[in-house]
Amino acid sequence: MRGLRKYLTPFAPDQSGAVSVLFELGGIVVVCDAGGCTGNICGFDEPRWSEERSAIFSAGLRDMDAILGRDDKLVEELADVARKIDANFAAIVGTPVPSVIGTDYRALRRMSERRAGLPTITMDTTGMELYDVGASKAYVALFDRFANEGLPIEPGRVRVLGANPLDLDCVPPKEWSLSFEDVVRASAAEKNLVVAPSGLRAAKLLERRFGTPYEVANPLAAQDAAEIAMSYDVRGKRVLVVQQQVAANAMRDVFLSHDATSVTCATWFMMLPELAQSGDVQLHEEDDFEQLVYEGEFDVLVGDPTLWRIVPQFSGVTVDKPQFPVSGKLLPQGATQGTAPFASVSSRRNDAS
Amino acid sequence: MTCPYDAPQGGRSSVGQHDAREIAPCEAIPFFATAAELARRGLDDLPDELVSNRHLIYSSPATLAFNSPGAEGFGVKRAGLAIPGSVMLLVAPGCCGRNTSLVSDMPAYKDRFFYLNMDETDIVTGRHLRKIPQAVEEVVGCLAVRPSLVMICITCVDALLGTDMERVCRKAEERVGLPVRPCYMYALTREGRRPPMVHVRQSLYSLLEPRSKRATSVNVLGFFAPLVDDCELYGYLRGLGVRSVREVSRCADFDEFQRMAEANFNLVLHPEARFAAADLQERLGIPSIELTRLYQVDRIRSQYRALGKVLGARFDDAADYRAAERAVEAFGDVAPGASFAVGECLNADPFELAVALTRYGFEVREVFGTLQAENYVFLRRLAELSPQTRVYSNMEPTMIHYDVRSNPVDYALGKDACWYHPDAKGLAWNSDVQPYGYAGVRRLFEALRALALACVSEGRCGA
Repeated sequence: MRGLRKYLTPFAPDQSGAVSVLFELGGIVVVCDAGGCTGNICGFDEPRWSEERSAIFSAGLRDMDAILGRDDKLVEELADVARKIDANFAAIVGTPVPSVIGTDYRALRRMSERRAGLPTITMDTTGMELYDVGASKAYVALFDRFANEGLPIEPGRVRVLGANPLDLDCVPPKEWSLSFEDVVRASAAEKNLVVAPSGLRAAKLLERRFGTPYEVANPLAAQDAAEIAMSYDVRGKRVLVVQQQVAANAMRDVFLSHDATSVTCATWFMMLPELAQSGDVQLHEEDDFEQLVYEGEFDVLVGDPTLWRIVPQFSGVTVDKPQFPVSGKLLPQGATQGTAPFASVSSRRNDAS
Repeated sequence: MTCPYDAPQGGRSSVGQHDAREIAPCEAIPFFATAAELARRGLDDLPDELVSNRHLIYSSPATLAFNSPGAEGFGVKRAGLAIPGSVMLLVAPGCCGRNTSLVSDMPAYKDRFFYLNMDETDIVTGRHLRKIPQAVEEVVGCLAVRPSLVMICITCVDALLGTDMERVCRKAEERVGLPVRPCYMYALTREGRRPPMVHVRQSLYSLLEPRSKRATSVNVLGFFAPLVDDCELYGYLRGLGVRSVREVSRCADFDEFQRMAEANFNLVLHPEARFAAADLQERLGIPSIELTRLYQVDRIRSQYRALGKVLGARFDDAADYRAAERAVEAFGDVAPGASFAVGECLNADPFELAVALTRYGFEVREVFGTLQAENYVFLRRLAELSPQTRVYSNMEPTMIHYDVRSNPVDYALGKDACWYHPDAKGLAWNSDVQPYGYAGVRRLFEALRALALACVSEGRCGA
């Protein structure tokens, strides 16, 4: 049944993706919600939140605020915070409530800028799309608004787009993190590296505006795949990889280089046509995954371990590769440095026996 | 001090070139008011900073329980599954159920949460409502054991749409032949007359069917986890001839839950159960008596005496009273005059607990709390005893500037206070199982004493 989840909890929503991108940029981030969405974002989808102080606020909407459309109250409260906290910018992140009442984000942005005196971006996230949609909106809004024109190119300066905990399944390596200065000085980059589909729209925007070339690749996922291939022989195997699209593609290349017979990539998230190969699969429902696995004749499944509950009859090998926006489980500490085991391989056939 | 962003209107936003800067304070002091000042101003004249609907809500780990009640303790999701054998279908945008895996990872909630994700078309057309009976049928069909009840949990979106979920639940009931009840996770109505945690209690107890009364049965309403096993209240009730003291969390199955309908009276230990108790009085004729959780032993004694008067009995509480008093003294022996920060993410009213600590001879330097009509009386008393105690609101935006060095304490009580004071001896005191009465006081001070002694034995601090 469309929309029904019997095994999986809902995936990270667009508002979490937006905040994930904005988190370290030194802005005042206002989640336009009643409180619960902010709790979900911070308490579940943002692993950095419990370690670092960040200016994330809930609008604390109440029923009459929504019914009467009290945007002016929100703006006043934002202006009050802007007087008390020195920030680079303000960002207003949408949730289901403003989506239902039809909040005019452009008007909200203008009002906020006038009243708070802070450059403001808005993201019309709804809580009904997935994280990568929100992350993509945040990247585009940031570069569109804050990237300064015409800085001289700095040789060797590579900007990484799509490097956030939801896309990488871990806290990004420091050299991949995006700072506000990186955004402002975007035109100085020699190249942009897109490690997840969420970064592609921004990369195209920067190419259009500044002529900055971009490359789509995910070295971390490739490294993960190489480690899997070292511990498990994929030669002659038909492999299904379920990850975000750029990571899945990187893993595919590695497995094929280790003589896998075929590698099919599937994703619950963005499936961009320009990055897809024939036979790749866009997943929406649990039933889609069940059908894909049972009809696909795969030998090996690589993906978040919570997926295996959907296909208890699968008799091949499962390789656990936690996907943070799926299960909320981060890769183990150290995984980004490639120093710790991150994936466990188990044979369903052996388990059954 | 002038904030650089007190710029002329439109000034900064019109700048085309941008500079990066770190988040930095304009006035790096979190807002607080002293107990004396707040008592002088009165409840109707609280500073805006201490009234949560007059400012943005700062999201820190200290406020997670406010912003996401389901993530810690009992929010609507866990509470809605208080009935043994029940399951929940969360009908909402995906974001509302995102953190549920925190709960569904707990053994008691495994295979009890299901989701019907809404999209924008659902909101526009309301078609998700037509899908609910079928979804309930599919959920019931995939379970090895037939559930006792299906709770349908809906969220802010349906609050705005004005969904009649009672009607939808009746349709689902007809389809599966099981009780199906709504519960409302309407964060939008949190400060209304019937906030979600009030309504979920009403929804749960609405399942009780009329039964013959038994004079020897009593219900304890208010919490979704039981009172501590050694709570003296159980003994006092047994002394009155009560044979069955029922709490929803101690019911083994749905049948036992139904036996709560035979109670002679309800004891209401949490104000959020007040409406449910009123419903039970009206529908099943079960009267109720409301008690307050207190940490001042003499007030606990007064409350038990008042309860005894109502029930026509006198409780012999001398031993329990003395045990609680001794626990307080024993902690005082190892930590004389200790200083405290008291938070609100704990099993107590922070202002009442602050009064208790002050009366026991300790110093309360800070309270992180939300002032309301119910606890303002304790604030006034605190102002008499400790006028300089600082009162902070966890949710106020300037709490981002809170600096532990500004007002260090020996002990932090409550999960939020522990977060603000990582160097203090911290006691979260927020277990699901509820401390109550003399047993609550005794256990609290025993835990504090153990903390003090552990700290000394580990060489981390002096007593």
